[in-house]
Amino acid sequence: MNSVLSSILSWDFVASGIRVTTPILLAALGALVAELAGTPNIALEGTMLFSAFVGVIISGFTQSLWLAVIGALLTGIVMSSILAYFSLKLKTDIIMAAIALNIFASGGTIYALYLLTGDKGSSASLKSLVLPNIDIPIIKNIPILGNILSGHHILTYVAIILVFLIQYMLYKTPLGLRIRSVGESPDAARSVGISVFKTQYTALIISGMLASLGGIFLSMGYVSWFARDMTSGRGFIALAAQALGGTSAYGVALGSLLFGFSEALSFSLQFLNIPYEVTQSMPFIITVGALAFYAWNKSRNKRNRDI
Amino acid sequence: MKSTKRYEVYRTAIAIAIALALGYILILLSAFPKGDMAFFDKLKSAIKDANDAFRTFLISPVLKHRRGHWVFNLRGFIQWINESVPIMITGLAVSLIFTARHFNIGAEGQLFLGAAIATGAAIYFPSIPIITPIIVILIASMVGAAWSAIPGYLKSKWNASEVVTSLMLNYVALYMGLFIIKTFLRDPNAGQLVSLKFSDSATLFLLNDRYRWHSGILIALALSFALWFVMKKTTWGYKVRLIGNNKHFAYYSGINTQKTFFQVHLLSGAIAGTAGIIELLGYYGRFVWLYSPGYGWDGIIIATLARNNPIYVPVAALFLSYIRVGAKTMGRYTNIPPEMVAILQATIILLVTAEAFLSQMKQRAIEKEAKHTEEAIVGGETNE
Repeated sequence: MNSVLSSILSWDFVASGIRVTTPILLAALGALVAELAGTPNIALEGTMLFSAFVGVIISGFTQSLWLAVIGALLTGIVMSSILAYFSLKLKTDIIMAAIALNIFASGGTIYALYLLTGDKGSSASLKSLVLPNIDIPIIKNIPILGNILSGHHILTYVAIILVFLIQYMLYKTPLGLRIRSVGESPDAARSVGISVFKTQYTALIISGMLASLGGIFLSMGYVSWFARDMTSGRGFIALAAQALGGTSAYGVALGSLLFGFSEALSFSLQFLNIPYEVTQSMPFIITVGALAFYAWNKSRNKRNRDI
Repeated sequence: MKSTKRYEVYRTAIAIAIALALGYILILLSAFPKGDMAFFDKLKSAIKDANDAFRTFLISPVLKHRRGHWVFNLRGFIQWINESVPIMITGLAVSLIFTARHFNIGAEGQLFLGAAIATGAAIYFPSIPIITPIIVILIASMVGAAWSAIPGYLKSKWNASEVVTSLMLNYVALYMGLFIIKTFLRDPNAGQLVSLKFSDSATLFLLNDRYRWHSGILIALALSFALWFVMKKTTWGYKVRLIGNNKHFAYYSGINTQKTFFQVHLLSGAIAGTAGIIELLGYYGRFVWLYSPGYGWDGIIIATLARNNPIYVPVAALFLSYIRVGAKTMGRYTNIPPEMVAILQATIILLVTAEAFLSQMKQRAIEKEAKHTEEAIVGGETNE
């Protein structure tokens, strides 16, 4: 029992929790922007997967980190553009279009991996780069604080900064106001001269780029290769984290932390004979419970108002 | 109605044709030889290989080449039919829920948990021929219905997004299912995580022993027909279709929409719950999955292709499993990854669900029809 407690209370545990949280948080921020614009982005999973793939391939063939990151972000933009074009212009149901994109990403990455490297399972034969960890000078030497704040992956810091940026963008800028008003009521937004198409398209692009960052964290940080279906549902978990966190970026960050740390916890608790299936499914159960509670609360308030 | 229906058929056919053409291009790309050769020679050899591979892809589920003759490929045929069974069933479940315009995408979890719990019954239930498999399937069905009832209740009662809740419950079902198999039903003598073998009389009877052609296809076809009957010939089916077309209209015509929505979720879950256990009872004889088999997602593709009409679901399921078996066989003879089929599937979904794709053609079809009706009416008036 004590050994378990000490393993949970160790810095390694915190570090691994933060590592697991990062890709979920990045994608969950993407889920938030899209959700507020009224265009839920179920394609986060596929976008992450394809970006993870493109990052590895470009860095492997060009040995350039910058090109890899730019390529991955472009992948996110392209995937989101396809989603936006089909759902906003061709009137495909956005959920169906997103499901198609996820299927496409799963098969397409395996096919392209084979075409480019001759391998069907992983890119292990290709020597690709990883993005660095960052040591913050001065702070890293402070005993406890240094352990918590310093030495994380660069995208972890990016994710933390993005939480504040996205919150600011959504609630303090004209773009954010447009996104929220389009999501709230497209017709009302249109009546005051906001282009619904342009706003939703922008929101989806932002959402796709955030998912891309989550994707390259997986293949260029968490591990240093691409493996088939390596996102393994993180895009969907991000949707859950967003649903749990509500409409603010801070809430979404908390939701992502819950998912990240319960995954990290499930490894530690296995020593206590608590099966990892139980710990793994806890955040999902909590999410369903939270959603049910929100919905119940909302419908009750509405009824009170009606009377 | 006729000409718009014909337009839907054209549109599906064009989507499939585009996808197959794309498939040929993908095969051609991966057939390009490496090494020092003039580009033209490379292209020539790639086209030759691609043609062979594409032919295998297209016909291997029914025909094979043996001593210079094309003969019936029994093994491929049985694999084709067997693989269509679970996705046909999930296709039915999804088409029902989509008809009501709800997006409960929890078929995956329903079939997984249903199969895991019913596995217990299939192992320990007293062996009675015919009765046991029916009871086992019914148990899976009830589990599926109960699992689907959660998002269904939350949606119909409090309007909680069923997309997210059903997606979350897929994961809970996956972990719960694995936990049940691991803790209670695991075969300790097997190398990997599989359940104990089902009792002998719990399995479905076989139409062909050698390649294990099981009778699941008969169940799936019967279910298709039954659901078609319910949807097209009963008041309840009419209600569901009405709600799907316009739920406000349905509500103000006095239909209890909440209750009907909930019933739709229940029935859809009850169907989806059986998809997994039927394949296990028929083909594997024990629980063998370490992760979700993905049939719930396939069900979405099939429901889309079949335009949510249960009578077209078997056709769509057979089509999907046909190109998959074809791709797998091709993957065995060449090096082309069978996963490329996923790209074709995505293309088909995108084009079939894009309402504005070929919408000019639809417009023309509607105009033509309107003209016909008008002429008929005018003609009728002059007759009087």
